[in-house]
Amino acid sequence: MDFLNILNCTILTPLVFAAGLCFVPAAKTHAIRWLAILGSFVTAVLGVLAFLWFSASDTGFQFVNQVPWVAALDMSWHVGVDGISVVLVLLTGIVGFAAALVSWDIQSRQKEFYVLLLIMIAGAMGMFASLDIFFIYFFHELALIPTFLMIGIWGSGKREYAAMKMTLYLSAGAFVALIGLIALYLALPADVRTLDLVKLLDYARSHPLAANVQYFIYPLLLFGLGTLVSLVPFHTWAPVGYGCAPTATAMLHAGVLKKFGLYALIRIALPLLPVGAHDWNGLLVVLLLGNIVYAGLVAMTQKNFNYLLGYSSVAHMGFVFLGIASFTFIGLTGAVLVMFAHGILAALLFALSGYVYAQTGTREISELGGLCKPLAFVGTLLVMAGFASIGLPGFANFPGEVMVLFGAWQAPAWQAKMGAATVSWPVPLAIWGGSVIGAVYMLRALRNICFGPTPVRWQMLADANLFARVPYLLLLGVLIWVGVYPRALVETIKPATAQIITAVEKAVPAVSLKR
Amino acid sequence: MEDVSGLLWRVLAGPLSAAVVIWLLCHKSKFYADFGPVMERQMAWIVAIIFLTGSTWFAYSAFSAVRDGAALDNQPLYQFLSVGDLDFSINWSLDKLSGLMLMVVCGVSLCIMVYSIGYMHDDPGISRFFAKLSFFVFSMFGIVLSGNFLMMFIFWELVGVSSYLLIGYWYERPAAAEAGKKAFLVNRIGDFGFLLGILMLWGITGEVNFVGVKNQLAAHAVDPNLLAVATVLIFCGAVGKSAQFPLHVWLPDAMEGPTPVSALIHAATMVAAGVYMLCRVSFLVFGSPVAMEIIAWTGGITALMAALIATQQNDIKRILAYSTLSQLGYMVMAVGLSDPHGSGYMPAMFHLSTHAFFKALLFLSAGSVIIALHHSEQDIWKMGGLLKKMPITAACFAVGTLALCGFPFMSGFYSKEAILGLAHERNHGLYVLATATAGLTAFYMFRCFFVAFLGKTRGEHAGKAKESGWVVLVPLIVLAAASIFGGWFGIPEWLVENNAISAEHAPQIVMIAALAAFAIGAGAAVALYARGAVADPLNRLPVISWVLRNKFFFDEIYMVLVKVGQGTLAWLCGFVDRWIIAGLVVRGLTATTRGAGQTLRLFQTGNVQTYALWFAAGATILLYCLVR
Repeated sequence: MDFLNILNCTILTPLVFAAGLCFVPAAKTHAIRWLAILGSFVTAVLGVLAFLWFSASDTGFQFVNQVPWVAALDMSWHVGVDGISVVLVLLTGIVGFAAALVSWDIQSRQKEFYVLLLIMIAGAMGMFASLDIFFIYFFHELALIPTFLMIGIWGSGKREYAAMKMTLYLSAGAFVALIGLIALYLALPADVRTLDLVKLLDYARSHPLAANVQYFIYPLLLFGLGTLVSLVPFHTWAPVGYGCAPTATAMLHAGVLKKFGLYALIRIALPLLPVGAHDWNGLLVVLLLGNIVYAGLVAMTQKNFNYLLGYSSVAHMGFVFLGIASFTFIGLTGAVLVMFAHGILAALLFALSGYVYAQTGTREISELGGLCKPLAFVGTLLVMAGFASIGLPGFANFPGEVMVLFGAWQAPAWQAKMGAATVSWPVPLAIWGGSVIGAVYMLRALRNICFGPTPVRWQMLADANLFARVPYLLLLGVLIWVGVYPRALVETIKPATAQIITAVEKAVPAVSLKR
Repeated sequence: MEDVSGLLWRVLAGPLSAAVVIWLLCHKSKFYADFGPVMERQMAWIVAIIFLTGSTWFAYSAFSAVRDGAALDNQPLYQFLSVGDLDFSINWSLDKLSGLMLMVVCGVSLCIMVYSIGYMHDDPGISRFFAKLSFFVFSMFGIVLSGNFLMMFIFWELVGVSSYLLIGYWYERPAAAEAGKKAFLVNRIGDFGFLLGILMLWGITGEVNFVGVKNQLAAHAVDPNLLAVATVLIFCGAVGKSAQFPLHVWLPDAMEGPTPVSALIHAATMVAAGVYMLCRVSFLVFGSPVAMEIIAWTGGITALMAALIATQQNDIKRILAYSTLSQLGYMVMAVGLSDPHGSGYMPAMFHLSTHAFFKALLFLSAGSVIIALHHSEQDIWKMGGLLKKMPITAACFAVGTLALCGFPFMSGFYSKEAILGLAHERNHGLYVLATATAGLTAFYMFRCFFVAFLGKTRGEHAGKAKESGWVVLVPLIVLAAASIFGGWFGIPEWLVENNAISAEHAPQIVMIAALAAFAIGAGAAVALYARGAVADPLNRLPVISWVLRNKFFFDEIYMVLVKVGQGTLAWLCGFVDRWIIAGLVVRGLTATTRGAGQTLRLFQTGNVQTYALWFAAGATILLYCLVR
C-alpha cells in the first residue's frame, strides 16, 4: 500500500479521529477528550517517526507519494519532506499533542472544539508535507479556519473583535499571497505550467524567471505571507488574537500556524524568486528590525500577559526573517531552527499562561504576583520558559538565534564601516532587541507575576497535578534537548538549506560570500 | 594517564547532577509523597556536598595532570553545532590558568556549601537553595574549563542566571526580586558587547576556539585598531560580570541574596570570572595597547570610586560589596597593566586567588554575625562589642581585614604588592591611584571592624548575640588559614615559569609607600572609631559624606536615563502601535472595505433581470478573453 506512507498517515490520522469524534455523543465528554488526545498522540508519534526515519545524509525529498489529480493544471496529491519540513512536521506533532492535553479546561461544546483542534493539526501537517502548491494553500486554509471559530466561540475578553480582526488580516494576507502564486503560475511559459513544487524548483534552477517578473511577484508573496507571520507593520492581529484565544488555539497558532508564511517563503519564494528577494531585501531588513526592536519596545508597555507574549512572538519572528534575509547558509539554517524553537517555546508560554488564567481568571500582570509560592511547579516552569524566550543558553532558542546572528554577520550586503571595524549593521540592533529589550520586558513580567509577596486571594491556588504537568514537561524537555544538543536538528536541516542557498547564490552572485 | 577530557566532563557533571537530583527528588510537595521514595529535604545538602566533593576529586586529578606536565589529549566532548564556517564544539582548556582557577572555585565552594548548612538551617527552601548553588558551581566550572568563546558565553549566561536566581532566592521580598532582575539586566548590557566582540573576532579569524583564534592572529597581520575594537567589546562582558564602572551598580544590590551566595558568587568566584576571562584571552588583550589602556583605567577608576563609597556605608554586607568592587578594580587594572613579556597576567590572577579566600572569609564572618543577630540586623552602628560575644568570628573577621588591607605577610600583602609593583613600573598615574585606594581600604575596613566588634553593644539584637555553631565556624577557620598563608603557596611560581620573574619583588619604595598608606588609613580609623564612637563623625563633613552615602547617585542617574530614554521610546512605540498602526491604518482599511461593500450592495438589487444582465456581460467578457 503505497498510499499509506508515513506522511499520508500523519495527515489522515487526525482527520480520521476528527471524523470518528463526530459519531460520539456530545454528552460523553470524557470519551471525547480521551479519543482526541489519543488522536493527537498517534499523530505526534507518527511525526516523531517521520523525523527518526528521515535520512539526514540524503538530499532531496523523502517519503514521497504522488497521486495525479487534475492533469490540466498539472495538479496532484504530492507529499514528501526534506530537512526543513520534517523538522516542522515534528514540531506540529509535539505541539498538537500538548495542545490537546491542555484543552482539559474547555468546559463547553467539547466535541466541536476537539474536532476543530484535530482539523487544525491535520491542516498543519498537510501544509508542511505537501509538495503541490494547491494543496499547500488548501491545507493552510484548512488549518486557519478553525482558528477563527475557536477564538470566536471559546475565546475570552474581546473575542469577537479578536476573531474578526484575525480573520480579516490573515485572509487578506493569504489572498495577497494567492495572487502572487497565481502570478507565478502565469509567469511560466504555458507548456511548463505546473503546480508541482518539485518540478517548479527544477525548472527554476535551469530557467530562472526574468528579473522584472521576479521583482513584481516577490513582494506579493513577501507581504502576503509576511502578514501571516506578523511582519511589522502587519502584526497587530497577533497580540489581540492570542490575547483572546483559548489556550490550545494560541499554542497551535503561535507555535505552528505562524510558521506557515515563513515556511512558504523559504520553500517557494526564496528558490523560485531569488532575484526578487534580493531586490526587496533592503525593505525587508528594515521591517524585520521593526519586528525585533519596535515590537520588543511595544511589548514593554503591555499590561496583559498574553498581549506581552503576543508581541514577544512578533519580535521572535524578526530573527527568522533576519536569517532568511541574510542569504547565508548559517543564517537560513538558524532561521529554521528558530522556527522550531519558537514553536515549542510559544506553545509552552501560552500553555502556562493559560494555566495561570484558568486558576486566577485574569491575565493582567499588575493583578498577579508572588505566584511562585502557591504554584511552585507552574511558576518555576514559567521562569524557565521566560528565560528560554530571552535566549538563555541551554534552551533551543539560543543556538538558533546565535546561528542567525552569525549568518547575518557574514552577509556581504550588510557590511558597513564603523570606525576601524567592519560591522554587519543589523546585527547590533538585533542583539540589542533580542537580548536586552527582550530581557527587560520578560524579566519585568516574571518579576511581577512570579515573585514578590503573594496577595491573599492567590495564596490558595492549586498547582498543576500530575496529568496537567505532562504537556509542560514535554515541551520543556524538547526545548532543553535541542538547546543542549542542537546538532540533532541542525544536521537534518543542513542539506535542505544548503541546496536553497546554493541555488540563490547561483542566481544572485552578489550574495555569495567572499573567500 | 587517563584522557583528561574524560576527567573534565566529570568535573562538570558533579554539581549539575546534584542540582538535577535535588530538583527532582528533594521536594516537600505532596505530589512526590504519593510517588515512591522521597528524600528528606535536609538531604539536599548531603547530595550537594557529596557530588561537589566528587567533582573536586576529579578537578584535583586534572590539576595534578597539569602539574605533572602530562601531555593532554584535548578531545571535544561533543559537537554542539557545525554549519558552514561556524564550527562549535564543547571542548576544554586545561592549563595552569584554569587549573589554578578550578582549585580556587572548588576550595571556596566546598567551604561555603558546608557553611550554608548552618546558615540556611531554618530556611524552608533549603533544597531549592542547594540545587541553585550546585547549578551555579556547575556553570562556574564551565566558564573555567571553556575551550572556546561560544562555550564560555554559554556558561557566562548560565552563571548570570544562577546569580539572578540566588539573589532573588527570597523571592517574596520585593527588594530581592528587584535586585535579581537588575543584576541580570545590567549583565545583559555587558554581554551585548561580549557577543558582538565574539562575532567580530569570528569575522576576523573565522574561528571561535581560543587556540584557533590565537593561531590565526599570530599567523596573519590584522589591523590593530580593529583588534582593539574587538578586545574592548570582549572586555564589555567583563565589565558587566565583574561589575566595573559604569556597570557596577548591580553588585551592591546583589547583597539581597543570602550571605553564602554573596560570599561565593558576588565576592569570590563569579564576579572574578571577568578577570579570569581577560586572562584566558590574554593573547588578545596583550596584543592591543589601546585596549589595555582602557582596561587599566576602567579598573583603576572602579577601585578608587568603590573604595570612596565604602567609607560611608553602614550595612556590613554593603561595605564588603564595595570593597569587592574595589578589589575587582585592582584585578582588572592589573590585567590592563600586564607586562606581556614579563609576569603576564600573574599579578591579576594572584590577587584573584587570594581575594577569593579572604573575601569569602569576610562575608562568611559577616554572615556569622548576621546569624547571631537573627537575620534581622546588618547595620554596623547597631552592633558593637561583638568581639567579646563571638570571639572566633571576630578573630576571623580581623584576619580577613588584615589580609584585605595588605598587612605584612598575609596573603593580600603579596598579591597587592605584585599589583602595586606592576603599576609603579607601567603607569605612574594609576600607581598613585592604587596606593591611595590601598589607604582607603585600610580605613573603611578598620572602621567596619571597630564599629561592629569593639565598643559597647548598641542594638537589642547585638546584646543577645551568641557565637555561631561549629558548622559555621569550621569553614571560617579553614578560610582564615588560607587567607593567612595564601601568599606562600607559590601561586606566582605556578603561573610564571620563569623563576627570575616570579621571584622578582617590587622596589622597596613601593612596599614602603603601601605600608604607609595602610598605616595612615588604619590610623585614621583608629582615631575616629576605635574609642567607641556611636555615630559616624564623618557625617559632619557636608557635601562629601552626602555624595558618598548616596554612591555618587549612579542609581538615580541611571534610573532617570532608563525612564527618559527607554521608557519614552517604549511609550512612543506603544502609542504608535495602538493609535497609528492598529488605529488609523487598520480602521482606515476597515472603513474602505465597508465602503466597498456598501457600493457593491448597489449591484445586489434582488432583481432577476439585472442579475441576468450582469451574468450575460460577464460571460461575454470571459468568452472574448478565451477566444481571442
